[in-house]
Amino acid sequence: MSIDFEFRKLVMDHHIGSDLIKYCYQCSRCADNCPVTRVSFDFYGTSGYNPRSNILNALLGYKDAIFDADPLVIWGCTVCDTCDEVCPQNIELTEIFTFLKNESVKKGNAPEYLIEQAKAICDSAKAIPSQPAIERRREQLGLPSIVAPNVEEVQTLFKNIGSDKYLD
Amino acid sequence: MFEGCTIGNRIPFIEAASRKVFEKVGIETSQAPFTCCPDPTGLKSFDNDVWLTMGALNLCIAEAEGKDIISLCNGCTNTLRGVRHQLAHDSLMKEKVNKELSKVGKEYKGTIDVKHFVDVLHDHLDKVKSAISKPLSGLKVAVHPGCHYMRPAEWMESDDPMRPKVLKELVAASGATIAEYEEEVLCCGSAVTNAYEEHGMANLKIKMDSIKRSGADVVVVNCPACFQQFDTKQRDLGKKYETEYDIPVLYITELYALAMGYSPDDIGLKFHRTRLKSILERLGL
Ligand code: SF4
Ligand code: SF4
Repeated sequence: MSIDFEFRKLVMDHHIGSDLIKYCYQCSRCADNCPVTRVSFDFYGTSGYNPRSNILNALLGYKDAIFDADPLVIWGCTVCDTCDEVCPQNIELTEIFTFLKNESVKKGNAPEYLIEQAKAICDSAKAIPSQPAIERRREQLGLPSIVAPNVEEVQTLFKNIGSDKYLD
Repeated sequence: MFEGCTIGNRIPFIEAASRKVFEKVGIETSQAPFTCCPDPTGLKSFDNDVWLTMGALNLCIAEAEGKDIISLCNGCTNTLRGVRHQLAHDSLMKEKVNKELSKVGKEYKGTIDVKHFVDVLHDHLDKVKSAISKPLSGLKVAVHPGCHYMRPAEWMESDDPMRPKVLKELVAASGATIAEYEEEVLCCGSAVTNAYEEHGMANLKIKMDSIKRSGADVVVVNCPACFQQFDTKQRDLGKKYETEYDIPVLYITELYALAMGYSPDDIGLKFHRTRLKSILERLGL
């Protein structure tokens, strides 16, 4: 396990709540309240999802322990934002986890459903594109049709920001 | 009105009930060419910059009309409020986002507000109460406000993040009774189910077992992702753990529509997966 200082710096810079992450004292309140830790973590072992370890590894710059491990280490998070609320040090854990997930996407380790959704959004500007059967159902229910979004604008944004290259 | 992808393009019966309730309460809405919010548990994890920029694009669309946004979904509200909050506090990020937006001829200024429909209904509670013509007395309701309605508290500014009460107050106004249960603030697990079904189902079991123990007739929600998790996954959950759950799910606006005199057919309740028949019979509907 090696320390990656560049990665450490990126973690620190990403945290919009200034450098609060430094004050994590590993109390484990985040993990104790995390729904995914509750159902996946093996108490005596090391398997399962654990937000406390993620914060420790990010803080110390242990890049390999995060990105070269089972993808569950990053992608187990169900984004319930409970850890943010219970952390006694007011660390916005999910901000750090968003950064870790974005990095994992760039390494090609994102779960399939995530890429599928991003593709749908880039293709149609909607995570769930409109379908004829649902259009008919809307009509039956007396609903107006959905106003079509500007797909081209969305595609321009994806392209300029450069994330279209992670869609395959 | 921001109906969002899931309600608009998958479960539009929820929009039908919501529009009927808004009309009774006197909340006027209009449509706009919004894109996906985008999903705070999906696209944000894919690329935070695209998430921020697309969210700002939607805010620009509402700004152009000079109207606030009312959202029917926890996720959309969370994204749009989150983007608004972040751009209000990070001027460098705002500059970066506006640079991207300028390439599609837009500029984000930060002039409009974003509201969750639950908060709007709560602000109009008197009008809601006077529109209730068929109180749902005797119906026992477990509430699930859902994570992104109140967390992170820093930018949702809606309810207590760990001890929410607004949805309970709304349900009580319909004449129904609240069935308290231990796991009220536990996530429905929708996001983790997409990637790790096994963990998602184990989480849902904890949630549903707790709801079942409360003796609730129905679980009331205010988020389409939670709605789908409870409505479509319950049968699989029952099979997997050999337990009969059979607890129907209602959107708070569906509950209200019934209490305001609409029939189950008016609001397309037949499109639910979980069976509502026995509770509708008991209510004489
Ligand atoms: S709750 Fe906060 S301080 Fe405690 S271990 Fe988690 S991140 Fe660190
Ligand atoms: S946001 Fe993720 S890490 Fe935090 S408590 Fe929820 S599932 Fe766990």
